[in-house]
Amino acid sequence: MAEAKEISGLKRARIVSQSVFFVLFVFLLSRTEYHGRDVIAYPVKIFLELDPLILVTTFLSSHAVAAGLFLSLIVVGVTLFLGRVFCGWFCPLGALNDVVGSFRKKKKTAPESRLDKHGVKAKYYILTVVLVAALFGIHFVGILDPIALTIRSFSVAVSPAFNYLVHGGFGLLYKTGFGPVTAVSEPVYEFLRNHAISFNPPSFLQASFIGFLFFGILALNFVRKRFWCRYICPLGALLGLLSRFSFLNHKLSSEACNNCKLCLATCSGGARPYPEDDWRGSECVLCMNCHSTCPQQAISFRFGRPEPQHRRTDLKRRYLLQAGAAGVVSLAFFRLNPVRETGEAELVRPPGSVEENEFLRRCVKCGECMKVCITNGLHPTFLQAGFEGIWSPFLVPRIGYCEFNCTLCGQVCPTDAIEELELEAKKKRKIGLAFVDQNRCLPYAFGINCIVCEEHCPTSPKAIRFESRVIAAEDGEKELKLPVIVPDLCIGCGICEYYCPVGETAAIRVSSIGEDRSEKNRLIL
Amino acid sequence: MSRGAALGRHGGRDVWTKRLPGDTLARTSSDARFNNDGGLQPSEGTVDRRTFLKAVSAGLAATPFLRHSDLFSFPPPETPAQLSIITGPDPAAATKRAVEAIGGMSAFVSKGDVVLVKPNIGWDRTPEQAANTNPIVIATLVELAFGAGAKKVKVFDNTCNSARRCYTNSGIEEAARRAGADVSFVDERKFKKVNLGGEVLEEWPVYVDALEVDKIINVPIAKHHSLARITLSMKNFMGLIGGSRNILHQKIHTNVVDLAGFFKPSLTVLDAVRVLTANGPQGGNLADVRNLNTVAASRDQVAIDAFGATIFGLTPDDLPHVREAHARGLGVKDLAALAVVREHLS
Repeated sequence: MAEAKEISGLKRARIVSQSVFFVLFVFLLSRTEYHGRDVIAYPVKIFLELDPLILVTTFLSSHAVAAGLFLSLIVVGVTLFLGRVFCGWFCPLGALNDVVGSFRKKKKTAPESRLDKHGVKAKYYILTVVLVAALFGIHFVGILDPIALTIRSFSVAVSPAFNYLVHGGFGLLYKTGFGPVTAVSEPVYEFLRNHAISFNPPSFLQASFIGFLFFGILALNFVRKRFWCRYICPLGALLGLLSRFSFLNHKLSSEACNNCKLCLATCSGGARPYPEDDWRGSECVLCMNCHSTCPQQAISFRFGRPEPQHRRTDLKRRYLLQAGAAGVVSLAFFRLNPVRETGEAELVRPPGSVEENEFLRRCVKCGECMKVCITNGLHPTFLQAGFEGIWSPFLVPRIGYCEFNCTLCGQVCPTDAIEELELEAKKKRKIGLAFVDQNRCLPYAFGINCIVCEEHCPTSPKAIRFESRVIAAEDGEKELKLPVIVPDLCIGCGICEYYCPVGETAAIRVSSIGEDRSEKNRLIL
Repeated sequence: MSRGAALGRHGGRDVWTKRLPGDTLARTSSDARFNNDGGLQPSEGTVDRRTFLKAVSAGLAATPFLRHSDLFSFPPPETPAQLSIITGPDPAAATKRAVEAIGGMSAFVSKGDVVLVKPNIGWDRTPEQAANTNPIVIATLVELAFGAGAKKVKVFDNTCNSARRCYTNSGIEEAARRAGADVSFVDERKFKKVNLGGEVLEEWPVYVDALEVDKIINVPIAKHHSLARITLSMKNFMGLIGGSRNILHQKIHTNVVDLAGFFKPSLTVLDAVRVLTANGPQGGNLADVRNLNTVAASRDQVAIDAFGATIFGLTPDDLPHVREAHARGLGVKDLAALAVVREHLS
């Protein structure tokens, strides 16, 4: 065993960089919430805008690219010059993988297994499937893209779980009713609520499912460090291809090397730093572990002429073709979705969403709109939008309605699947239509006056009016006010459904019909 | 408890003013009166026949509700008015004068009191849209309460739209905070089941802070509401309770009277600076807003709502909750039976 050696400056710089960007990521995520202003200055979408895979696939699938996505050209430039710095120094999922991976027991170097040798190629085939599918208009990159995946998992599962614990913890302290404790805890809680944590603890459909998947990805670090990054990540694959001609080369000094192979065990990316001929530069995430670990200081990174011969990952043309074919097949497979033709009642998309087919070509399921939704009304779909639309946003009015004066979801969407609307336009944008269920509605079904739906209807004039009916009651006659929807005025915001006093299934419900974005999903001429 | 003790005094005034209804009105309504469509207009110190007859008949109608002992009490005429109705372009000045005319804030708030100034912050609307209480009225009352020696003034409301949006866009959070109030969001943990002792409402979750304050100053805004017809002071207490508020609408008139009887505000100030005449309670269209530049104040919440009715061209008896509150002895619905100060500030 070599003695524990101080970590090198470069490795320390990498850890600092990862920490800074991870903190920035969490900070921006926490700012992706209403904080008293109608405009969100720093949404976390900037991380997605730096993601070239999103740029490429969005361009392939929808041919319409949100301007912000061109920021990712910075990452392209950096990768062309330095290699996969993004993966090792910037990516928040990479940072988390490193943290979890550091808990893995260090094993003595074993001979290269089949997984090590061939697994690294898998991500290139996955990338191929993703790109080919995108070319045919199937955009499921968001399921696998590390940035979209991390934002989604944090927004829908990790952050709500954290909030649940923090809110719950302060709730317990409050319940003690013990003066000296609450005198401290309550101001702290109020400060956190206003500045750090979510104002109200949110909860999302499928939070557990998405959370389990995320923790599953992190747990894979116990199989191999950075399992995800090595074998699955399509963004890593794309950057690997881009790094082919980078100017930063790995050098192993054969004089200094004593063949201890410690570098092999510490490598984060499966890049085979030893022996020199095995070097797979496109797998290197520049974590600097080998550089730091080498007891002989035989490893260095130097600028020089590109050495593409050291940066190959031998991809079999046969597999690439198969992957491409899989992309094409996925077209048919994912498209087996009658919803595209018939519309789906439950599928009430956020205001500003583009037409459904185009929506699916743009949405990367990052979940930012869900994070920012002030009423907790936007949730990830399961199969409502077909399998290709899994985890795309839809409004569940029973849980949260669309706030009339709010335009935040459109502001944070990185791909313009939800276009940013001016407030006046947003207030008129129909996302669905409310229907009164006369079998459940109190005045219709039971002769009891209620009017809660009308009271909350935000449009002016209101989209719910009353029909008056005099009925015989126990003590003489009684005037009933029966709510009637005015389809021209209803925008489908769902506040009526949210506040309807008829529990579980409301007596007034919004469905997607009548949404402005669809030419087919119409009801009234 | 001072909150309930006001009733006897009102009763006394009933008789006195019933005996001399025309005299009382002529004396106290010298600066403003209502025109026929319900709006306020400055007048020249006269009472038209219509108002006079209305006042008389209202006074007579109240007779059956008087308690016997009331018939023999004659308060001195120089005591402060029971209801003040002040118009003027400056809401702060109108608020100050309205409170002053009924005895000044020190009549309602004692030194060291913790006071709740309860606005309506129900909706994500701007002050111009007249869906929430006017922020200047709130801030002025906060200042007055501090002026009367209040130790702490709290301001909060259980909103319908997202709380943060309502607090911000209503302008109330900023105005009240600047006036020194402790503005907080309603916290789900702080509801406590309490027996309200109402006719319909018995056990119901009430906001703890509302239970713990010494005095409540209720500050509703006058506006249209499709079920309560118009929404005034008593319905404003909906913002102090939790639970399934949306099922309360089924017996709304009785419920709001239950709430009014439970909370018993020390002072009620009606914001009619801007009133919403249609599409209530949240409006949204400035065409539905009318500027009446009026602030009314009274110890008697029933009187306030009775007055509020007249703003919309209704009589107090048109509002079932006013009739019911009057019948339960929570206050007096007959404006003619009260010592009313009406002034116009320029």
